[in-house]
Amino acid sequence: MDRAILSDIELRTTTGRLYYYGSMAVLLAIAVVVLFPFVYAFTSGLKGSTEIFTSGLQLLPQNPQWENYTTAWNKFEIAKLFFNSFVIVSVGVFLRLSISALAAYGLSRLKPMGGRYLMMLFFITLMIPGIAYLVPLFVTLKDVPILHISLLESYWGLWLPYAASAFAIFVLKNFFDRIPTEILDSARIDGASQLQILLRIVLPLSRSILLILAVLTFMDLWKDYLLPYLVITNPQYQPITVRLFYLADSNHGVNLQMAAAFIALMPPLMIAILLQRFMKTGVTMGSIKG
Amino acid sequence: MRLTLASPMKPPVPLRNDWVSRVRYHLSRQFAAYLFLLPALLTFALVAWYPITQAIQMSFQDVRLAGESTWVGLKNFELMGKDPALGVIWANALQFAVLSLTMGYGVPIFLAILIREMRNAKGFFRVVYFLPTVVPISIAVIVWRFIFDPDAGFLNSFLKVFGVEAQKWLQDPNLVKPSMVAIMTWAAFGTTTLIYLSSLQEIPTELYEAAELDGAPPLARVRFITLPHLAPIMSLLLILQVMAVVQVFTEPFLLTKGGPGRATLTPVLHIYNRAFLRADIGYASAWSLILVVALMVFSLFYQIINRRLSAD
Repeated sequence: MDRAILSDIELRTTTGRLYYYGSMAVLLAIAVVVLFPFVYAFTSGLKGSTEIFTSGLQLLPQNPQWENYTTAWNKFEIAKLFFNSFVIVSVGVFLRLSISALAAYGLSRLKPMGGRYLMMLFFITLMIPGIAYLVPLFVTLKDVPILHISLLESYWGLWLPYAASAFAIFVLKNFFDRIPTEILDSARIDGASQLQILLRIVLPLSRSILLILAVLTFMDLWKDYLLPYLVITNPQYQPITVRLFYLADSNHGVNLQMAAAFIALMPPLMIAILLQRFMKTGVTMGSIKG
Repeated sequence: MRLTLASPMKPPVPLRNDWVSRVRYHLSRQFAAYLFLLPALLTFALVAWYPITQAIQMSFQDVRLAGESTWVGLKNFELMGKDPALGVIWANALQFAVLSLTMGYGVPIFLAILIREMRNAKGFFRVVYFLPTVVPISIAVIVWRFIFDPDAGFLNSFLKVFGVEAQKWLQDPNLVKPSMVAIMTWAAFGTTTLIYLSSLQEIPTELYEAAELDGAPPLARVRFITLPHLAPIMSLLLILQVMAVVQVFTEPFLLTKGGPGRATLTPVLHIYNRAFLRADIGYASAWSLILVVALMVFSLFYQIINRRLSAD
């Protein structure tokens, strides 16, 4: 059943075994290379500040300095950086899903006039790479048209760009399109308003896709560097991606840098391992967006 | 259905068939539709559509952040032609693209085929290979920078075992691009591997069985069943990889600031420098415009050639 190129019978022959264990050896070797930076950051973070420069091939510390991790945690103010990132990203995810779900429901169920043209307008933003309008986006955020306020140094300057995702709208619209009309019609006849239908019927039915989108968006936004680097320059409010690199770049012991980097790498790794099911579906779904 | 809902007084669907209530019904429905779309329309207008029109407009302007911008016609584009960095930047972009294809394009295909072959531990490899793709690159480069360190880094210590002399991976203009592409490959190959793997799962095992019965050896099965099945997605991922690499920014920005010299000055890094360090916003916009047009022309050509080839 689970055969691929090689069959179970072939696997019992010498050549079959050679192919199989050869493949496994290659995969394991690559896995070691892939995981190496994480392991290296962890063990280097345990080394003394001079030992780290002389250890050469020695991966493990002679005398593990666990206090490096608490020092790094305090010195780089990692708790605050995590908190900043968390606020930026979770509100970003919430806004993106809300706005996209509303728009997708409107497009899918309420048949707005000119809906086809709206879809095209949304689609354009998928076709044009973000760099094409990064500079004018910055200028726009600096001086919002009509209102003439600046969104720089404010989380809104990140939340609004993060909220706009044509990909999320299309994915949700596709999903909503497939919900049988009868369910929604009967709710209409019972007197439910469109908003109630969306909140109490459509969204609960779309839990799986919303969860996948949420996880995918969360990981995506957590990684973002350039936009927060441009928009938030006050170190008190910068996310971890921006601030930690800056701090590591200025003078701190390399062992502390490694310890801090390892701590900072942990949350995304944990999420990826725990929620791998959703990420897998999400990534293969995301490949269609190209 | 558990709906404790608003007044049943007003039926949502018109009962009488006269045109007044029909029009009213349609209007209210249109109104509702646009109310639902409003948040998205406002957000997209502010952070996407307006900036896109501005991107084009600013390319033909001398942009002043305080005060009026002035139209300068094609001056920004003429300046671009005289930019001493122009040739270097496009050569860098091309080299980055070629390097990333040679170093990283085949890897996920090869690995996905091997993972598909595993009878157990498939999930393990899938997760492990995916891990680098979820971590922020700005954090990962802190670690990579130290691995590449000429004096204390692990890579040079490791290569010394094989008698290779210490190299300045990120400071040597000949080595900096491959080193950076290695980091980029590490950071990205997990996603493509997953995509290939899910495509491989679709191949019916009967095909392999039939090939085996016909006496085709394993490598022939790869050549005549696996690869043809992957071909469309391979072709798509090739162009996506080129587009992504030409737009690379974070790695050179954080690791080398475009150096040594101009060895890692990429188009987007140049745009960033001009816009945000020199406040040359019109000029940077013109660059962005040209970059996007170049990418679109490339992908168009690619698709045409691709279609010709597959038609043959």
